[in-house]
Amino acid sequence: MSVIEVKNLSKTFKVKIKDKGLKGSLKAIFKPKYKLVKAVKSIDFSVEKGEMVAFIGPNGAGKSTTIKMLTSILYPDKGKIKVMGLDPAKDRKKLAYEIGTMFGQKEQLWTHLSPYDNFKFFGAIFDIPEPVVEKKIKELSMLFELDEFINTPVRNLSLGQRIRCEIVASLIHEPKILFLDEPTIGLDPVVKENIRTLIKRMNKEYKTTIFLTSHDVGDIEKLCKRVIIVNDGQIVLDDSMENLKYHYLNKKIVDAKMKEKINLDDEDGITILKDKGYNLKIEVDITKRSISDALKLLNPDNIIDINISNVPLEDIIANIYKSKK
Amino acid sequence: MLTEVKKQLKVSLLSVKYGFMREALNKASLFSSIFFMIINNSCMIVQWIVLFSLKDNFGGYSFKEVLLLWGLAASTYGVSRFFFRKSFNLSQTIVSGALDNYIVQPKSVLLSAIISECEPSALGDIIFGYIMYFMYGFKIHTFILFTLFTITGGLMIVAVAVILGSLSFWLTNSDQIADVGNSLVTNFATYPDGIFKGVARMMLYTIIPVGITNFIPARAIISFNPTLLLINIGATILFILTAFAIFYRGLRRYSSSNLMNARV
Repeated sequence: MSVIEVKNLSKTFKVKIKDKGLKGSLKAIFKPKYKLVKAVKSIDFSVEKGEMVAFIGPNGAGKSTTIKMLTSILYPDKGKIKVMGLDPAKDRKKLAYEIGTMFGQKEQLWTHLSPYDNFKFFGAIFDIPEPVVEKKIKELSMLFELDEFINTPVRNLSLGQRIRCEIVASLIHEPKILFLDEPTIGLDPVVKENIRTLIKRMNKEYKTTIFLTSHDVGDIEKLCKRVIIVNDGQIVLDDSMENLKYHYLNKKIVDAKMKEKINLDDEDGITILKDKGYNLKIEVDITKRSISDALKLLNPDNIIDINISNVPLEDIIANIYKSKK
Repeated sequence: MLTEVKKQLKVSLLSVKYGFMREALNKASLFSSIFFMIINNSCMIVQWIVLFSLKDNFGGYSFKEVLLLWGLAASTYGVSRFFFRKSFNLSQTIVSGALDNYIVQPKSVLLSAIISECEPSALGDIIFGYIMYFMYGFKIHTFILFTLFTITGGLMIVAVAVILGSLSFWLTNSDQIADVGNSLVTNFATYPDGIFKGVARMMLYTIIPVGITNFIPARAIISFNPTLLLINIGATILFILTAFAIFYRGLRRYSSSNLMNARV
């Protein structure tokens, strides 16, 4: 069952432009010029119940605009959106009960209040009876391990603790879909890992659909089974994480420590990435050369240590961004 | 419908409570800002004492009636600033994309956006307003009228602020227009309406509705007239409905923003 359905969705912004300097500013007052920026260009996709989808792309690709149209914040110019069977442009209030949002760059908590008071406030916003809110706060504070600081004012919490509270605030009304926009922005690796584990646990326990945007490949790789890549307002890839790796991981990185220096040049299927005499790093395109071929070139008897790894997912995604521009 | 209004009211009151709790964190600052606001307003009365020592009547108002006018001006201003402080920064809220948080909540976007902060010194204005009223002369029916006009006047000032702030959906840098407009509503409120003639007087009963928020209420308190009461209530409802209509019309053009934001 699809919980999000998007068909032919487009959004254009009218942006004022002006020439350089004071003269340009004065000219713009009397003769304003505008240009149309097509942020989202006729995109289609759907998301099934319980899925964890990464919606990614470079800056300015149109992902935030799309997420904002899905959550009633922006009105689309063209196309159809159904989120939990509702039209976000027409059923804003009804939809708000069904979805949760957490924008990493925008805080929704009152900083002078404790997380507990904030959660009670959010409970009132979503018309949840007091006993139910109390129960929910207890349950979520256990799941997200908030007990230690649930009564400390939000302004005194660390960023990691605050983000956990932001997520809990967006879950207080048991949304069916959670939209996470850069949930781990600015967090250290340990806290990031912690947040990811908690999001996974939440998806497992409540079957909440997760729609995530992030520039952090760790978020995408560790949380999501499906990736939608947008670039220049269009979907350039919509595939499972497994397929993405399978189709794009046709290059291997061979990192070898040698007994003796060898002279190796770029040739068909082999690219020298780093050559520091005894340490050599090469990239092997396995559609052209097999790994055993590459090893023969290095001479196995000459190798002290070797590491063969996949190209990092980050590089794969960056290449998709570049190639599909 | 009624249940929805009740739920909205509950959340709005909670917002006011939490907004006030933030300001009350520093008690010394809270009480001194209230106290100094009363002193500040009192200084303005001194100029009227001097003027009335020269002449008995200004624009048809006696000294006590000017005190009543001042009382209404201060209390309506106080109500608007204490409960709806953010209506005066609506342009900034719209431009910075801070409406996002309110749009994803199942409550009125406009009310959530304008009720989330309060100005503690405005309590000083409300207290000062009532002191002026008591100096004018207490009577039970005029006290009820004064309170009613304080509420309608406060709501009217907020409605004007919302209309001016909503211009940001269409115009860039409209915060300057909003600032000037909001100042006009306050600045004209403390002068007797008899001194304004012609176009200026017409403006004070239309686009700068000081006539409706202050002059008509003052006349109704001095000498009760049900027509004046109905005009005040009717105009307030009209302005509120217009403010809602313009804001929600503009909301369709809202373009959000990715600026970093914190609710501090």
